[in-house]
Amino acid sequence: MLTGINKIGDLEWEVPIGYVPEMRVPGRFFLSRELAETLEEGAVRQLANVATLPGIVKHSLAMPDIHWGYGFPIGGVAAFDMTEGVISPGGVGFDINCGVRLITTPLTEADLAGKKREVIERLFAAVPTGVGGKSNLRVSNKDLTAVMVDGARWAVERGLGIEADLVRCEGEGAMPGADPGAVSAKARQRGLPQLGTLGAGNHFLEIQVAREIVDPEAAKTFGIAEGQVCFMVHCGSRGLGHQVATDHLRTLESAAAKYGVRLPDRQLACAPVDSPEGRAYYGGMVSAANYAWANRQVIMHEARKVFAEVFGIEYDEMRLIYDVAHNVAKFERHDVDGVLTEVCVHRKGATRAFGPGVPGIPREYAAVGQPVIIPGSMGTSSYLLHGTKAAMEKTWGSTCHGAGRVLSRSKAKKEVKGRELREQLAGAGILVRAHSDSVLAEEAPDVYKPSGEVVRVVHEAGLSKIVARLDPLGVIKG
Amino acid sequence: MSFEELEHTADVLMRVRGADLTELFAEAGRAMFHVMYGPCEDRGIERRIEIEAENLESLLIDYLSELLFVTEVENTVFCTFDVDLRGTRLSAHLRGELFDPARHSAGALIKGISYFGLEIVKEEEGYVVEIIFDI
Repeated sequence: MLTGINKIGDLEWEVPIGYVPEMRVPGRFFLSRELAETLEEGAVRQLANVATLPGIVKHSLAMPDIHWGYGFPIGGVAAFDMTEGVISPGGVGFDINCGVRLITTPLTEADLAGKKREVIERLFAAVPTGVGGKSNLRVSNKDLTAVMVDGARWAVERGLGIEADLVRCEGEGAMPGADPGAVSAKARQRGLPQLGTLGAGNHFLEIQVAREIVDPEAAKTFGIAEGQVCFMVHCGSRGLGHQVATDHLRTLESAAAKYGVRLPDRQLACAPVDSPEGRAYYGGMVSAANYAWANRQVIMHEARKVFAEVFGIEYDEMRLIYDVAHNVAKFERHDVDGVLTEVCVHRKGATRAFGPGVPGIPREYAAVGQPVIIPGSMGTSSYLLHGTKAAMEKTWGSTCHGAGRVLSRSKAKKEVKGRELREQLAGAGILVRAHSDSVLAEEAPDVYKPSGEVVRVVHEAGLSKIVARLDPLGVIKG
Repeated sequence: MSFEELEHTADVLMRVRGADLTELFAEAGRAMFHVMYGPCEDRGIERRIEIEAENLESLLIDYLSELLFVTEVENTVFCTFDVDLRGTRLSAHLRGELFDPARHSAGALIKGISYFGLEIVKEEEGYVVEIIFDI
């Protein structure tokens, strides 16, 4: 374990003020002893750097999938005061509103027998993936403006989904406060041909089976049963979001100097939440986040059509459980020293995990807390959890977002052969379809922390509770 | 001169060297396209870009970000970068080919260029910079 860090609970650690100069609050993170073995000093330093930013409230936090990124660590969560505090693209990342949605089908694993290859091939044909993957939709600049304001609703209004999908998305599939004027012509140019595309890297569309139900009551509320076949979409705002982040990082870098913010890392470029530059970034980021919700909605629509055709089931028998964002900054009301206060919560590689009764979650889930979806890496389990009161108290209603890498891409390429991996996974009943085998090597299960261990830590720390474990049956990758 | 990939768990970290700044910028472009697409040939596609910034590090980020934009919207893959650098103003003549999914799908999609740790350092035999590409 690294030095200079204090263990303050079974799974809770504190980074004291002074770990790096000018920290305003302590850092806190959640980790088991096993996961602590792979904790990088750089990640802790980044957590501490965030604690130096003006207006940070209570703690700079990180979830158990913490690892070294740029700006905030990946798995980082921090809330900022709305008047004294800042907003930073380094606390969101380049892939604005990268997120996950989970959909159930009326099928069981037995129904897939003999048809798995066909459905994977048809999904691969229906959903554009990979570098250079272009949309099947024709989107005008006017449409794009509407996408950035209305999010998933834009797609539903065009028949690419059903009304009930919208209430089962975080924020009903759109954040308020979009400012398409803060999205550059370049970002628009990138976004136009990519709506409804999966992208590359760790993004995927996966067929899964609910292998284990851990909390039957919550599972019933969420509408998922043991043995049920589901599918999961993991992607974000594509080139549009990347360009919004790039453009605003640039303007915020000079803004930080203008507002007298001393940056320990240029990637923490920021401006007061309530400043022209801060508001412009927020409006641009919201526009990109809404594009991402529309993107996942379109992909889900295409996948539903494929399932309906291959298995002869009805479109609306495939029920969206929920859609969560794990790279975003939001204005939320939280308890700060006993007073309900609006703060700007950054989640970079962290998932909102609002507990029972918290406003903003679907009424049908209110008694349980919001669904939290944690995607596995290729070939490993994904998890459905629910939000908790403890998360509201300790982490601004946040939990982990995934597995977190432990092996670099270059090492992965040396140690894993894509083709062998594909064959090995096929042997285990998991069909993989991608444009190239080398992509598979980089995203091999061994390059990530075991998702089960990360999820176990948030479960035991109470930041969210496991409802079901989902095992992969087939996956399409970029 | 050269570029090499260093260990980085989350993203791609490249160390790029150049005998002078012009070469450093050219190599940085080559390094990025290598990460994204793997092998590339000059098949007659040409493009010119011009960038100006307030310092060299920002110029490098703006230049690489511009390349990301161009490759994505124009479906081009570049392999040679003739860079003309005057102070913190750059013009580059790029040559390469059109994106071909059959030959260019072995790489990683780069989402952005990180400012983290980016510093152009003068050494005895030229310049070196380490760049984190977010993938």
